[in-house]
Amino acid sequence: MADTLNQVFTGLSIASILLLVSLGLAIIYGTMGVINLAHGEFVMLGAYSVWFLQKTFGLNLLICVVFAFFMVAGVGWLIERLIVQHLYKRPLDTILATWGVGVILQQSIRLSAGAKLRYIKMPNWLTKAVPLFGVDVSAYRIFIFALTVALLAFTYFLITRTRYGFRLRAVTQNAEVARCFGINAARVYGLTFAYGAGLAGVAGALIGPLKSVAPDMGTSIVVDAFMVVVVGGVSSLLGTVASAGLLGELSGLLAYLYNDTLAKALVFFGVVILIRFRPEGMFTVRVRRG
Amino acid sequence: MTALLEMRDVHVSFSGFQAVAGLNLTVEQGELRCLIGPNGAGKTTALDAICGKARAAAGEILYRNHDITRWQEYLIARLGIGRKFQVPSVFKDLTVRENLRVAYCKKLGVFHNLVRGHNGDSVDGLEKLAELVGLKDELHRPARRLSHGQTQWLEAALLVAQDADLILMDEPTAGMTSAETHKTAELFNRLKGRHTLIVVEHDMGFVREIGDTISVMHQGRILAEGKIAEIEQNPEVKRAYLGSGGISGA
Amino acid sequence: MKPSNYARWRLAGYLLFCVVIMIFPLILNNDYLLNKYMRYLVFGILSAALSFSWGYTGILNLGQAVSFGLGSYAMAMALKLRTIPIQTGAKGLPDFMVWNNVKTLPWFWEPFHSYAFAIFAGVAAPMLLALLLGWFMFRGRITGVFVAIITLAMLVVVNLLIIDQQKYTGGFNGITDLTTLKLFGITFDAYSSNTYYLIAGTLCVVLLGGLAITQTKTGLILQAIRDDENRVRYFGYDVAAYQNFAFTVSAGIAGLAGMLYTLVMEFASPTFLAVPLSLSIVIWCAVGGRGSLIGAALGAILVTGVQGNLSESPTFLDTWMLVMGAIFIAVVLFLPKGLISLIDIAVEALNRRRNRAHGGQSKRPTMNMNDVALQGSKPMREV
Repeated sequence: MADTLNQVFTGLSIASILLLVSLGLAIIYGTMGVINLAHGEFVMLGAYSVWFLQKTFGLNLLICVVFAFFMVAGVGWLIERLIVQHLYKRPLDTILATWGVGVILQQSIRLSAGAKLRYIKMPNWLTKAVPLFGVDVSAYRIFIFALTVALLAFTYFLITRTRYGFRLRAVTQNAEVARCFGINAARVYGLTFAYGAGLAGVAGALIGPLKSVAPDMGTSIVVDAFMVVVVGGVSSLLGTVASAGLLGELSGLLAYLYNDTLAKALVFFGVVILIRFRPEGMFTVRVRRG
Repeated sequence: MTALLEMRDVHVSFSGFQAVAGLNLTVEQGELRCLIGPNGAGKTTALDAICGKARAAAGEILYRNHDITRWQEYLIARLGIGRKFQVPSVFKDLTVRENLRVAYCKKLGVFHNLVRGHNGDSVDGLEKLAELVGLKDELHRPARRLSHGQTQWLEAALLVAQDADLILMDEPTAGMTSAETHKTAELFNRLKGRHTLIVVEHDMGFVREIGDTISVMHQGRILAEGKIAEIEQNPEVKRAYLGSGGISGA
Repeated sequence: MKPSNYARWRLAGYLLFCVVIMIFPLILNNDYLLNKYMRYLVFGILSAALSFSWGYTGILNLGQAVSFGLGSYAMAMALKLRTIPIQTGAKGLPDFMVWNNVKTLPWFWEPFHSYAFAIFAGVAAPMLLALLLGWFMFRGRITGVFVAIITLAMLVVVNLLIIDQQKYTGGFNGITDLTTLKLFGITFDAYSSNTYYLIAGTLCVVLLGGLAITQTKTGLILQAIRDDENRVRYFGYDVAAYQNFAFTVSAGIAGLAGMLYTLVMEFASPTFLAVPLSLSIVIWCAVGGRGSLIGAALGAILVTGVQGNLSESPTFLDTWMLVMGAIFIAVVLFLPKGLISLIDIAVEALNRRRNRAHGGQSKRPTMNMNDVALQGSKPMREV
């Protein structure tokens, strides 16, 4: 029983991290149709900003997380304004351009901070293990889970209850008509891209203490995030959540049975088979795009 | 004799909206059937259902005794059904000549077209076809450089090259001048007989020039059917078009 | 310029390129440099392969390195098994297997004792994998963007698998210390002109053969699919079959390039199957001209050539990569058809000047109903 529970908790932890990492990507793709291949590098930037802030100012992790959000969001906004906005009519070229951006970001970090693995300190009060239903769970992982749920709720609130969210939904459904109603679509796109990037930055900041920080950590992450988006479809937050949950538990289980690499491979094959028979993802409702 | 195309109680819906709700349509071989109706009547969706672009949720579509209701669109095309879309869809990055070559689709296999692709694509026929639509001097021009009228002609030429038995046309004269519309009517009148045509249209002058039988759609099903004179007198048709000044002004 | 003239000039360009690269060793007398240039030519083959799938058919294969790597490993496995006993350790096992406590040669290594099988596998394995993945993707009507992501994911997965299964594949280090290939009495040493001619010859065959394919009706359909794949379906073509064809052929050529690369580098490594290399391939192809086989090849040769001649230091390479990233973005934004399209732009400008000199003519579209009779009925449709 404890074993199963342990499995479930591990899966939930993986799922929450997956969701954290995929949320920004899903929002950007779902609203703007932009595949941001630099998403992994945004996560990486978040981790590095925390490392830098800790190293230079000795700040607490939690404060660094907030900084990370704004720093990476700023980078995201710049990228959207400078590059992405010219490519909305060319989705394949957006992939290329964002891949190029990812390369630039990765190389910049490599040249400035070096290619060595870096380490981020976990706050002391979170390093313990907490007993939960008879299973010892890392307090930090619980913290991440809680924060992910909070971010999810905040995002939901942002999209459904604020003026920005309203404009975002309008522009997603039909950008041309939204413009006719006076909505500045360009500004909405810029802010959305920034928000998605910021979320990625937060993800990087939070997972930093768990995995070591390296310039190329982004690639594997962006692939994971895309698997979540492919399976979950892009029409709803719920789809992303359900997909992250499914893939998280599945990877956890497979990693336990075999190893991490095989788990990744099997999940990938599973996704390929899924899209063959249900290309719109598992949790999508068919919606007309504007 | 069995009809060429038969649609029985076809339903098509998009996210809950019933675009086609119980459509019954029968078209005989060699006919030129006009499909008219107010906006939103489901005319384009009806064509979509036939050629496989849209999935019929219920009902049957029979073509030459094949039940093609759930078939994939390329298999439907192979049976001999060709489609001209409302939005001009030619291959913009290919030249006019290349567009026409694609449309000569008697041989469809990858390997056949690899080794013996040029057989069946008579250069002579292609150039005559280009001349027919006034594009003989534009054969080398990329299709994106053509004017709107030229693009419409190219699309018509693609359909003639495809040589489908049943040709579905969606608003072929949209954006044309009356001279061009008249010429299109001439082309259609020559095509019917050997080909069967279903033409969705709004231009009643054009419809009068070409149509034998006219089917009027309204709210996803057939409202009335008959010759142009009968249709124009039909009170229900007039009511459906209310606000558009009668069908003569549609 | 009339279309037939354009075709003639293009063919001349391809032939000229082939002649130049074939006579190159006669001018050059430096074995070390020859080895460097061989590398560039291999990358040229690889880049041209991607152009066939991406530029012509619109399938952006971000995981081209998988095919390349598989080919390279196939050749390495064959060479490893023939390496003199000192390298292979006891019982004819490759050294890394001995270090990993493997007792007997795994079954999938056995066939690689035969060069014929290895060469076949180097091309067939990537093609089979592509065919399989393609069946899932193209029959599922997956569009360009998702194809790109899935191929990238496949690359990441395969890379991890190869590194993970180190007792069978040599892990991080790859398969090293290889013997020299001796086939049909010819020695293909990494520094000999034999190998150079093999590679250059392959590049010529790939370019000319590829050009021939693009001129067929199949090649035309592939381009139409790139333009508007749905419209092509309504003519009756099985689009998934055509996409699979392009995808698989591209993979096969990449596998071939991989095998040649093992000869040049004298080892096979997981870095041949990694994201940075795949990214580089895309960059070469984009910079050179994705829609042109020779453009793509020239892009690869140009970029790697300049890179190789500037420096080999790690710091430089990192900076170079950063600069390439920026150039890549610039090309995507401003010159999407690559450097080779500058030729087309120049030709256009010349044409316009010539037309203006002769007085422009514009024609109103008209239909000639009287002069031309429509064709009679055509024979039955065949598939």
